[in-house]
Amino acid sequence: MWQALVDRTARLLSDLRRSWHRPPLSLVQKREPSPAAVNYQPLERVLITDGVGRTLFEEFAAHRARVNGDEETGWVLLGLREAREVVVLATLPAGADADAGIAHIRFNSSGQVLASRIVRQQDRRLTIVGVVHTHPGSLRHPSDGDFHGDSRWVPQLRGGEGVFAIGTADGPAAGGTLFAYQPRPNVHCLGELRFSWYILGQGETAYRPVPVELTIGPDLARPLHAIWATVELHAERVDRLFRQQAGLRFEVLSDENPGLVLTLPLAAGGEAVRVVLRHKSVRYYLQRGGELLEVALADDYVDRGVYLLLAELAGMA
Amino acid sequence: MDFRPLNTEERRQLINALRGNAESDRAILMDRRDTSFAGTADEVTDEEVIGAIKSVPCHY
Repeated sequence: MWQALVDRTARLLSDLRRSWHRPPLSLVQKREPSPAAVNYQPLERVLITDGVGRTLFEEFAAHRARVNGDEETGWVLLGLREAREVVVLATLPAGADADAGIAHIRFNSSGQVLASRIVRQQDRRLTIVGVVHTHPGSLRHPSDGDFHGDSRWVPQLRGGEGVFAIGTADGPAAGGTLFAYQPRPNVHCLGELRFSWYILGQGETAYRPVPVELTIGPDLARPLHAIWATVELHAERVDRLFRQQAGLRFEVLSDENPGLVLTLPLAAGGEAVRVVLRHKSVRYYLQRGGELLEVALADDYVDRGVYLLLAELAGMA
Repeated sequence: MDFRPLNTEERRQLINALRGNAESDRAILMDRRDTSFAGTADEVTDEEVIGAIKSVPCHY
């Protein structure tokens, strides 16, 4: 009995140590974890990183310059929900296949789902904290229609509250584009672009303005924005593969021909299947003994291609 | 058999996880690949995040 207990304890300690001594997965330093039991209080402020701020202003400006620039656009916000504040660390764009017009926007969630898996490789505490969307006119506050949907959505968020921002392009152009400024605690302006920030909690009858502050930090999803068409094109098949293969990892190629790299470790140490996705191009590689071998496999369906390759490798074993 | 004392950070994480479990019913997560300790419920599950993304309402 005592020996069994000792053996069990040793095994648990070994497991714990193995877990804690894994190499860090993140590209950025993890913050100090919150206490295990967060006592969520009403949100008192929203903290956004400068990376997220740049994304919102730059992509809103770029959207307005397009042919469909009078349509609404938006982003899902990923971040950390602390006891009394939210730290926004990533933006997931509405997507090329979003359903948008001058009076509405419904995001394409398939690309956002895959992007959330990729971003959350870096920190599993990241969660959905809210939504930003734009109004083509000068309504700087969420509409009644927004309230109808958001009030039903926020109960599933941490703390039962969501962060909502409205982007408009109705500010005075004289405001200048050299740097952003805050005419009010819940408003950020850059040139004619303006984001107005609000909170809506479960059971509340109205949005309330929330102070927004900037801190230095990344937009963890920004590298994905450059390959968003690729992410959306392969999202459902890659997501299926991720759910079936626990070891699947993602990297973004940020060279002049950007793409998404999938790495699936094999049972033999150091061996892996790698797939490079560049829009419609799907190329398969085998990493073996320090060599990277390209596989002559023409299958545009990435999940099917990976399983064909795994079957081939199993047959050769 | 290999015993090693926990360092300060490991001890803090373990105590927080056990306290959160005992006092607030917060889950202690297990790595599905090797059943090792995979953090506490502060680490949000994929299901929670993806459920929220898929149910983002239409905005007007």
